[in-house]
Amino acid sequence: MNVFEIISNTNIDYKEKRHLLALAAENTLSYVNLSVKTEKHLKKGILCDIFEGHAPYRPRYILPDYEKYIKNGSEYLGIKPPKDMYEVVNALMVIYQYVPSITGYPVYVGQLDYILENFLDTVSEGEARNLIKMLLINIEKTLPDAFVHMNIGPKETRAGRIILEIERELKKAVPNISLKYSKEETPLDFAKFAAEVALEIGKPYFVNHEEIKNLLGENYGIASCYNTLKIGGGSYTLVRLNLKKASQEAKDYRDFIDNVLPNVVDSLCEVINARAKFIVEEAKFFETSFLAKEGLIDINNFTSMAGIFGLYECIETLKGLKLGHDEEALKYGEEILDKIKEVIDSNEGYGCFGTDGKIGFHAQSGIDSDIDVTAGVRIKIGNEPSIYNQIKTEGRLHKYFNTGVSDIYVFDKTARQNVDGVMKIIDAAMKSGIKVFALNTSDSELIRITGYLVKRSDIEKYNRGEVLREDTVKLGAESIKNNKTLDRRVREVE
Amino acid sequence: MKGYINKIIENSFIDGPGNRMAIFLQGCNMGCLYCHNPETQRMCINCGRCLEVCSQGALSIKEGKINYNKQKCIGCDRCLEVCSEFSSPKYFEMQSDELVKIILDNEIFLDGITFSGGECTLQTDFIVDVVEKVKQKSNLTAFIDTNGLINENDLNRLISCVDGFMMDVKAIDDNTHRFLTGVSNETVLKNLKLLAKTDLLYEVRYVLVEGYNDSVEQVKYLAELIKNLNDYTRLVLIPFRPLGVKTYFKNLPLYNRQKYDIIYDEIYKVLKDRAIKKD
Ligand code: SF4
Ligand code: SF4
Repeated sequence: MNVFEIISNTNIDYKEKRHLLALAAENTLSYVNLSVKTEKHLKKGILCDIFEGHAPYRPRYILPDYEKYIKNGSEYLGIKPPKDMYEVVNALMVIYQYVPSITGYPVYVGQLDYILENFLDTVSEGEARNLIKMLLINIEKTLPDAFVHMNIGPKETRAGRIILEIERELKKAVPNISLKYSKEETPLDFAKFAAEVALEIGKPYFVNHEEIKNLLGENYGIASCYNTLKIGGGSYTLVRLNLKKASQEAKDYRDFIDNVLPNVVDSLCEVINARAKFIVEEAKFFETSFLAKEGLIDINNFTSMAGIFGLYECIETLKGLKLGHDEEALKYGEEILDKIKEVIDSNEGYGCFGTDGKIGFHAQSGIDSDIDVTAGVRIKIGNEPSIYNQIKTEGRLHKYFNTGVSDIYVFDKTARQNVDGVMKIIDAAMKSGIKVFALNTSDSELIRITGYLVKRSDIEKYNRGEVLREDTVKLGAESIKNNKTLDRRVREVE
Repeated sequence: MKGYINKIIENSFIDGPGNRMAIFLQGCNMGCLYCHNPETQRMCINCGRCLEVCSQGALSIKEGKINYNKQKCIGCDRCLEVCSEFSSPKYFEMQSDELVKIILDNEIFLDGITFSGGECTLQTDFIVDVVEKVKQKSNLTAFIDTNGLINENDLNRLISCVDGFMMDVKAIDDNTHRFLTGVSNETVLKNLKLLAKTDLLYEVRYVLVEGYNDSVEQVKYLAELIKNLNDYTRLVLIPFRPLGVKTYFKNLPLYNRQKYDIIYDEIYKVLKDRAIKKD
């Protein structure tokens, strides 16, 4: 869209227009410096920066240390350390307006259960509930983007339970919610309640706390779709490699592993590093952000993300095998991921202090305009094998990723009557190495697209051409058309 | 040892506690008018009728025996509709060791397995073989979904190796039972009482069919019976649904919800939380 087309578009609202205009302005600059070879890969669509813009001036994802903010207040915002429930809710609502991101909305709103729990007893039970409800409604109304992500758990808190209860009642796509789940730390009763809620409204995710803790330490958050990053840090950028397209460049499988992959993954790292460097050195983000000045973020916790998607089609193209149905296909999948990881780790990641100087590895969930290519390392929609085989296959693939990988498992409505059974599957998935487990039911009003939720009724409104508040509805509606999202295999029982 | 299997549902939330693999065995000793999966009732006589309606070439006949090609099948179930024998070309033979392997391969996902049918206890030898082998190597539980028409010897063998029974009671009045199922309920009620005295009778299921077995008095009688027999068995009240039914009962409507709720309330008074609602 050119500037006039953005301004005159009747399908988007004022805020979205302003966002697109800013991007258009950014794109009048030339792209960050790249080698000719890498530019070619971008042009061909083998690499894709997901419309991040030519001259990035803020990190894509930021996870401010909200606990520190609540403890110390903020000089820049003129907020004193909150003393009661009113003040903490107000303080949170204020800072959310000041957290930059790629979408313009904060992709991480904090570990809200733990933060709020400390203030719960400063007011009556009824007031506490009303205030939490107000906060959740405020987030939904002022940050209408389904990538806005809240975390709870692993321990049970009263606040955590209230959040789930209210979310169940509100039934909104925003915010995205993750439960850090650990069999040791999360009481069964609380986990079951969370599963019950998830079967109804598609959230929270179940995040494999033990696994992620081992990778990033206790101090991590889940942001945006399902990116696992350090709190007080974030990711400068996410650039992704289309494995389906890359595989079409190869003469054969060997050529792919030995020549094509090292070549394109080097380019992937080059784009990522150039973008990260631009943010730090040209846009001087850390020198200008109050978040950095007040210690709510620290460059030492940052990283960048190298995403991949289309592993399914890649294996299909090169070997004619179907991931999830062939043990051999899985072995090739592992070899491909081994190779990519090896090349990523052979490059220095600019400013990637949060992940030991290496760029984080991410199974990218696809975007609305992807056609006929499967998200991350998932199995093609509609071709999923039995749920057990799906989990066993993907469990082996999830182990490669430190900054986000997930899959979605759709159950039919009988699951709601047997949460014990659902927990059994979730526990088995965690044991199998699944890092982020999303569950949804086939008749749910909230549909999980790739890493975010949209309301069925909003999709219908969008398709009728109505202007909507939530920017992610557009993405969801397009994705459903292009990616056959609704054809995901339902785990039916007769 | 081999068994005849109609289908295996790897992930079932409705066949007993937790997540279970449900194994539907072929063959039954009743012929209920409202049976939802009538294709599990009898063995195939290889008459070849179903061959003619399969548009996918998934069925063929080799040496007088029906052959089914799963890869070609699109699941239209035309073959089941035309089979007048209450059978299916799709059931298959499987060695117990093979089934045991499928179960154990998925052990971490499961709370247990449930044999259903058909009337699974007609293949008690097979069940016992599978269950013993599974239990040697895992902590999975085994449940039996039965219509209650089990001979004494089989019942005793099952009692000594499984962890629970879910038993259908089709009617309390014997004439009604004969009418609905083709057989007397004498053995069923005897087995109900016997199982209730063990700790294995997980639940009793009762399908309400309008005008046949749904008098409040009959259902209450069953609830009282269960209440007096032990303090744990659940009674699941199921509304009749025409889905899948093959006899003239397919023309009956879905069971009236209002009526259902009235009857449920009655048995709730007797059994409290042991009375389970189904929608
Ligand atoms: S399944 Fe039925 S119709 Fe087909 S051959 Fe067997 S008995 Fe005949
Ligand atoms: S269900 Fe399968 S085997 Fe039966 S008629 Fe249809 S395609 Fe043929």
